[in-house]
Amino acid sequence: MNQLFKRLEDSFGLTAESPRKPDQYFCTVDANKLVACITHLRDNEGFTILTLLTAVDWIEDGKFQLTYLLNNPATKTDLGVRIFIERDNTSMQSIHHLWGHAATFQRELKEMFGIDFPGSPRVDEPFLLEGWDDIPPMRREFDTKKYAEETYFPRPGRETNDPAQYMKQKLYPDE
Amino acid sequence: MILKDILSPFSGWRKVFNEPVALKDPVNDRPGAPRYRGFHKNDISACIGCGTCETICENAAIDLVPVEGIKTKDGDSGLRPRVDYGRCCWCALCVDVCTTGSLSLSNAYIWVSEDSDDYRFTPGVDEKPWQNEPLGWKKPEGDYEFYPLNRVAPPHLHPEERHDSFVEMVKGFSKEQAMSEADRCVECGICTATCPAHMGIPQYIKAIRNDDLEEGLRVLYDTNPLPEICGRICTHKCETVCSIGHRGEPLSIRWLKRYIADQNPSEKYKEILNTGNIEPNGKNVAVVGAGPAGLSAAHYLALMGYSVTIFEALPEAGGMMRYGIPEYRLPYDQLDKDINYILSLGVAIRYNTRVGTDISLEQLHSQYDAVFAGTGLHQGRSTRIEGTNHPHVYQSIELLRKITLGEEIHVAEKIVVIGGGNVAMDITRSLARLQRQKYGKVQIITTSLETEEKMPADREEVVEAREEGATVNPGWAPQKIEIVDGALKGLHVVQCMSLFDSTGKFNPQCNMDVANFFEADMVVESIGQGMDISYLEGNVKDQLTFDPRGRIVVNAQFQSSVPWLFVGGDIIQGPDVIHGIANGHTAAKGIDQYLTSI
Repeated sequence: MNQLFKRLEDSFGLTAESPRKPDQYFCTVDANKLVACITHLRDNEGFTILTLLTAVDWIEDGKFQLTYLLNNPATKTDLGVRIFIERDNTSMQSIHHLWGHAATFQRELKEMFGIDFPGSPRVDEPFLLEGWDDIPPMRREFDTKKYAEETYFPRPGRETNDPAQYMKQKLYPDE
Repeated sequence: MILKDILSPFSGWRKVFNEPVALKDPVNDRPGAPRYRGFHKNDISACIGCGTCETICENAAIDLVPVEGIKTKDGDSGLRPRVDYGRCCWCALCVDVCTTGSLSLSNAYIWVSEDSDDYRFTPGVDEKPWQNEPLGWKKPEGDYEFYPLNRVAPPHLHPEERHDSFVEMVKGFSKEQAMSEADRCVECGICTATCPAHMGIPQYIKAIRNDDLEEGLRVLYDTNPLPEICGRICTHKCETVCSIGHRGEPLSIRWLKRYIADQNPSEKYKEILNTGNIEPNGKNVAVVGAGPAGLSAAHYLALMGYSVTIFEALPEAGGMMRYGIPEYRLPYDQLDKDINYILSLGVAIRYNTRVGTDISLEQLHSQYDAVFAGTGLHQGRSTRIEGTNHPHVYQSIELLRKITLGEEIHVAEKIVVIGGGNVAMDITRSLARLQRQKYGKVQIITTSLETEEKMPADREEVVEAREEGATVNPGWAPQKIEIVDGALKGLHVVQCMSLFDSTGKFNPQCNMDVANFFEADMVVESIGQGMDISYLEGNVKDQLTFDPRGRIVVNAQFQSSVPWLFVGGDIIQGPDVIHGIANGHTAAKGIDQYLTSI
């Protein structure tokens, strides 16, 4: 694996991390070298499977992190390739030409985070959220509680008590 | 339509006689994994209804509801969590944050009911089949904690740095220390009911977390006008019920209060508390005694616009806080900070004026619209054993008063103190300091009827007294002070077996076969104090009602049966500072009610 990272470092300016588990590695590359890097991994290094593609919202840094998790079935090794992209009006090159099912991940990311993948099939169609009319809900500025309170009604018959207030009412109502 | 589409629904019939794939009895055939997060269990006798589970629940699935048979009492709200499984996502944060460890999840995950309301129940109260299921999710042992279980300790002077002087031994928190200690609070508010003054404890701790100490000061003064004092010497009953104390050390509530008061400079108090312009209401009230109760009443009355005059028998204000509590626990400049702020609100004090001698209660009645009396317990009680009339047998409370007044007191080389309360520790530690100053060593034995575990003194007082060289030897009943040719030789004691009889009456039982002798040339009695209410004389006394123990009967506002006379503090409740403060506050509201209604 170290030799692989060395080769990738030279070609793609990659930063490797120490492995979390014996068979799981992570590295970070520049976003504009991502497609070239994973194409190389798929075609020349045996990482033929795209296990998943997911995002993390680093709102404080103004970045989205995308993680492309690849698997090499011959060596039973996972490799997560990470990139960081700008958070605002963001878009990323599609990889549906490498793995067909990447289109589904990309469609999900468009819906949940608002990350666009131009050219990816059906990327603008709703994935889970039919009739969604708010900002993408996985963006961290989305206030889930506020949305739930405005959208749904509480179950009838529920009531609660604040311990301190309840104790006052029971133990010293007049003070 | 092709032939396959027509035939395929029937192809399943081929397998009708095969062994079924579905589990016959999924509940028993497929139990949840040992740490599965299934339905809730709650040990309701351990649960205190602090509501931390409700607060942490991201899905608002938990309500706190009263439960029949569980009483609201100190340290227990009487509420218990009810879970709405329409919202629960089984994350188990409620279990992981639970302050008592009463909440857990069973590994039961299958349950069928046609009534959707069945899926909202109070675990541990509503009978469920998994109630005693041992498996399931419990908070993992080890480092996994949502709040540190151990306190941040404020810096203390080492025994050798403090044992021969009266400098303050506990230093205040730094900002970092206060903020990390405040961060341990889960804001449940269980403590508020136990505090006699019902202080907004979670609110002022939150102010520390937000680094808004001015807001903190406002919260303190809502219920307590002596925060520097209480921040140092309060009996901190709040800490005994702190929910964090169930699994770890309770919050250092007292030191956090002190931190707020210490950090706010006295010259900014009026601005922060918005007390620069108080509109006088034209009425006046006399307060007898400038102790915690009197000062508290004066403070809240002054805020309401009353012109208040305090009559104080001693040369300075503070009562027991000045003349009882030693300076190493409560420095006089901090006492003065609280008192001077109250005086700055327009409260007048007539020092060296003993009501009953220098001015009569009747005179106060004729000059003022109402009177509040908080004269405290300033008379020492004696064991009345043989030998207590020897001149070298003293009352702790008198010695403490003389130390504050700067009067010379007799300090013998060998001293025995009788008493197991905080006052006994105060005199023990004060005399130990004076012995060390005078003789370079400490020879003091403090003994009490109560055993070590049952001594009423705060634990840290006993520990610190020992650190300073005193011997605390509890569990002995004093029998006789040995006097030979007029010289005090020591104290005879026997083992004390129990203090109270089966009816709860004070009736010490001793084992006369186990005797001991504490050598000494001075004995100090510190077994409690009594009140001197001789100023309540004549007509007033005749109209007052006393209970069988000789206490004045007052109503919930501390109004006596003489309508213009309100009474509070140690002579009614306590004895301690915080009850005095609470009484004074309640009485002030009562006086206001009384004077606006007549």
